[in-house]
Amino acid sequence: MASFDRLIEKLTRNTARSTSRRSLLALLGAGMTGAAAFPVLPVARAASHTGASGGSAHAPVSSGNIQDPGDRTSCDYWRYCAIDGFLCTCCGGSVSSCPPGTEMSPITWIGTCTNPADNRAYIISYNDCCGTSSCGQCLCNRNEGDRPQVRPQSNNDYNWCLGASSSVYNCSTAVIVGVALDKKL
Amino acid sequence: MRAGLALLLVGAMGLAALAASPAAPAPANPPGVVDARQAHEDYVLKCQGCHRPDGSGDDHSNPAMRGVVARFLAVPGGREFLGRVPGVATTNLDDRRLANLVNWTLYRFDPAHVPAGFVPYTPEELGRLRANPIRLDRVETRARLVAAFPQE
Repeated sequence: MASFDRLIEKLTRNTARSTSRRSLLALLGAGMTGAAAFPVLPVARAASHTGASGGSAHAPVSSGNIQDPGDRTSCDYWRYCAIDGFLCTCCGGSVSSCPPGTEMSPITWIGTCTNPADNRAYIISYNDCCGTSSCGQCLCNRNEGDRPQVRPQSNNDYNWCLGASSSVYNCSTAVIVGVALDKKL
Repeated sequence: MRAGLALLLVGAMGLAALAASPAAPAPANPPGVVDARQAHEDYVLKCQGCHRPDGSGDDHSNPAMRGVVARFLAVPGGREFLGRVPGVATTNLDDRRLANLVNWTLYRFDPAHVPAGFVPYTPEELGRLRANPIRLDRVETRARLVAAFPQE
C-alpha cells in the first residue's frame, strides 16, 4: 500500500513540475474550437443531410408543369393526400410507374385530392407496386378520406398487393384517373 | 370540270358527316339512372378499385361483374342479394346515389342479362335492403345463387 502511495505521489509531483496551469486552458480552448468546427467536416454533413424536401435524402422531382406543382419525393405533394406507404418516386419508379422488377397491383385504393393549381378535386388511384420487399424510402401516411377497417373497401391499411401475382408490398404510386364532378346528384 | 365536281361532292359529304356527328342524339339514360356521369364517378370512387375499370374482376380477389351481374336478377333472392352484398350495402353513399349507381352498373356491365320486365331499384328499396347487409356468408350466398342461374 505504501508503494502505491509513493507511486501516486511521484506521478502527481511529476505532473505538477512538468505542466503549467495555462496549459490546461490551452487544452480546453483547443477542445472547444474543435467541437465547434466538427459540423463543418463532410462526415457530419452527410450524417445530418436535409434536402429541400424536408428530411428526405432524395433530390426533388417535379413535373415542370405549373398545372401539377410540387416535389414528388415529398409527402406534401398534392396527389399524396390519402397515401399510406413508400413513394415509388423515391424507389426507382415514378408517381405513376413502378420500379423495375415490380408489378403494379390491378386493385387499388382510390380517393380524391385537391390540386392547388386549379383547386379542383382529382380522382387519384394509389396503385401499389408488388413483388419485391419494402422499398423503405420516403414513408408517407396522410390518409385523408380513410375509413376504419369495418369499411374494407374504403380502408387503406389493407395490403392492396393481394390482387397482384405476389402479395409482397414494395411502394405506392398516385395516378390521376379522372376529375371529380363539381355538381353532385 | 368533272374533277371539280367530284371535289365538291367529297367536300359536301365531309360537311354532312361533320354536321351529323354533333346532331346525333345523346344516348338516353337507362331506366332508373338519373345521372349517368354521377354514377360513373361513384363507380370509379367506390367500386373500381376492386372490380376494375371494366368490371372484369378476377377469380381470387373480387368476382367479375361484367357479363354476370344482371344474371342475379333472374334467380329468387338475387335482387335482394345485389342490395345486401357488403360492397353495395356499406358504401358511404345515400340511397338516392346508390340506386343511381346500382341501376347504372347493371346496364353498363351486363345489359344483355337485364330481364325484359326489370323494374329499376328505387332509393327506398335499396334503403330497406342495405339496412340488413350480408356479412360473413356472402361467399356461400353468392355461390348458391350462381348455381341457380338459368342455363345459357
